[in-house]
Amino acid sequence: MPKVYNWQIGREMEYPYEGVRPQKQFAMIMDTNKCIACQTCTVACKTTWTSGRGQEAMFWNNVETKPYGYYPLGWDVKILDKLGVQDISGPVYQGKTLFESAPAGERILGYLPDDLDYAHPNIGEDDSTGLMEQGAFLQVPHMQWMYYLPRICNHCTYAACLGSCPRQSIYKRPEDGIVLLDQQRCRGYRECVRGCPYKKTHFNPMTRVSEKCIGCYPAVENNRQTQCTITCIGKIRTQGFIAPPDKAREDNPIDYIVHVAKVAKPLYPQFGLEPNVYYIPPVHVPPQYLYQMFGWGVEKAIENYRKAPEDKKLLGALLLFGATPEIIHHYKVEGRYTIGYDEKDGELVRVPLKEPIYLRVVYDDKYQTHRSNIT
Amino acid sequence: MNRVYQLLAAAAMAVAVAPAFPAETALQAIRVKGHGPILDVESAMWIQAKPVNVVMLPQTVATPNNTKPAVSELKVRAVHNGQWLALLIEWKDPTKSDRIVVDEFGDQVAVEFPIQSKPGAMPSPMMGNSGGRVNILQWRAAFQHDIDKGEPQVRDLYPNAVVDLYPDQVLRTADARPYTGALGVDNPISRPKASPVLDQMAEGFGSMTVKPDQHADGKGVWKDGMWHVVITTPMATESANSPRFEPGGSTVAAFAVWEGGSREVGSRKAWSSWVPLKFAK
Repeated sequence: MPKVYNWQIGREMEYPYEGVRPQKQFAMIMDTNKCIACQTCTVACKTTWTSGRGQEAMFWNNVETKPYGYYPLGWDVKILDKLGVQDISGPVYQGKTLFESAPAGERILGYLPDDLDYAHPNIGEDDSTGLMEQGAFLQVPHMQWMYYLPRICNHCTYAACLGSCPRQSIYKRPEDGIVLLDQQRCRGYRECVRGCPYKKTHFNPMTRVSEKCIGCYPAVENNRQTQCTITCIGKIRTQGFIAPPDKAREDNPIDYIVHVAKVAKPLYPQFGLEPNVYYIPPVHVPPQYLYQMFGWGVEKAIENYRKAPEDKKLLGALLLFGATPEIIHHYKVEGRYTIGYDEKDGELVRVPLKEPIYLRVVYDDKYQTHRSNIT
Repeated sequence: MNRVYQLLAAAAMAVAVAPAFPAETALQAIRVKGHGPILDVESAMWIQAKPVNVVMLPQTVATPNNTKPAVSELKVRAVHNGQWLALLIEWKDPTKSDRIVVDEFGDQVAVEFPIQSKPGAMPSPMMGNSGGRVNILQWRAAFQHDIDKGEPQVRDLYPNAVVDLYPDQVLRTADARPYTGALGVDNPISRPKASPVLDQMAEGFGSMTVKPDQHADGKGVWKDGMWHVVITTPMATESANSPRFEPGGSTVAAFAVWEGGSREVGSRKAWSSWVPLKFAK
């Protein structure tokens, strides 16, 4: 197998194809601390793309409660169990990736979910890790915890679906790095469903071929962020493009958050796919769990996130989440504002770093009444 | 790189495992009366055709592999009527698999012919090779089910499915088409056209292509733990991607079989080397 460089694990690794990075790489950042699992993103995606026959239980976007929510059932614990205990204690991953763990005659270590695994898309919703004992008190990390994990296809640099397909029905677009599954070429072998550890390729029993998240490419081609991003009522997401660390641009909000401030982390980087959806880890969850899920450096990410009010550039990048439906290519913090720009330097949006506060008098002369809320 | 390696491996494998077949194991396509496609699985004429037991090998060249295929032998008979060739392929399969959902796969069998049959320069029996194009006729149990019993609807696959509304219930056909995925782009794998057999061509692993012109036909019957499948094809067509057979002539045929109950699909299959096929005058 050819060797490719995966910056998320800090080393070269095996991949079925030569490593060629796209001109631009589709990327998304999701702040898990802000997600309330309202599923608006899920519904936006569903009504846009997967409302047809055979797509009844298919969610290209889903939001699950961690640690006990899964779609499909047990997707991450099953593959983690197969991969076994690995060493993720430093910036250079010492363990094995899924490609390096491929059994003889296979392209990748994977498994095919059962049909019924897709039958409970919101299983484990709001389930916490355990009961609170008598005398419990609030502490951080929390004694008992849960959080919400919104998920889409990661449009991986080294996509396992693409690497698993024996007839090259899946391709990565050179112009934006979006991974697409050719609906005419696919023969429904389900190798991609086996191979993708995130289980974000889905089989459609009516068309008898597989389907996957298309990164809302018709929107992205028109400089518009994805449906799941622009409909997010909590403004937890931003979508744009990411550069590899050696080409990171400080004025790209995604590059700044991921590469400079190192606040957002990939999901299960140890799998070796270099996924391009990044998560700001939940601040209240014990780090042992977060290490496993987001890899090395997760404590530093939380520390830096907490210091965002002191880092104007980080604050400015974070405040651009959900501020505009257009894709922000670069930004700058100027005075009291953070300003997002499109690819041609046109101003897209201007967000105040500090929400202005207006104080109103307690007694309203016009209506001759007292106000209960004056801010 | 990977692909090149696989092709080289396939060529090497073909040489290594394709010993010259003894004459008595050659398939003899006897001449039968009639004209047009030969589709009768249970016809008495098959008794006259001498069966050949074709050994099925694990596919271990291209990834992913199948080191322990469920089917180790096919019993094959051949007849022709001067216009159409037909092969009756039978094998033991205790589970009839024709329901397709994410974790259920269909039974399938395929026969392959070189398009240009040149002695000493045969394409690889493993789906051909670059420049060595083959014609692959693949029968699918799921297509047979569709033809015999109708195409499954969501409620057939999932009797308790409840859905508020589908796009095709509120939109015009053309507007609802984008919501139909592979069906909307006429992917030939999604549904059978008129036959349970796909007429295809290939030049090596990963290159299988359903031909725009479909000539083959067939019928499969599952009875008493066995599949009995007839695949029939015209002996001559206008297509440059179909082989031409003549009474009195000869060619070779290779086979592949998938046992859906064992999750065999794609390259997870059993295959055979070339078997000589002779046509009676």
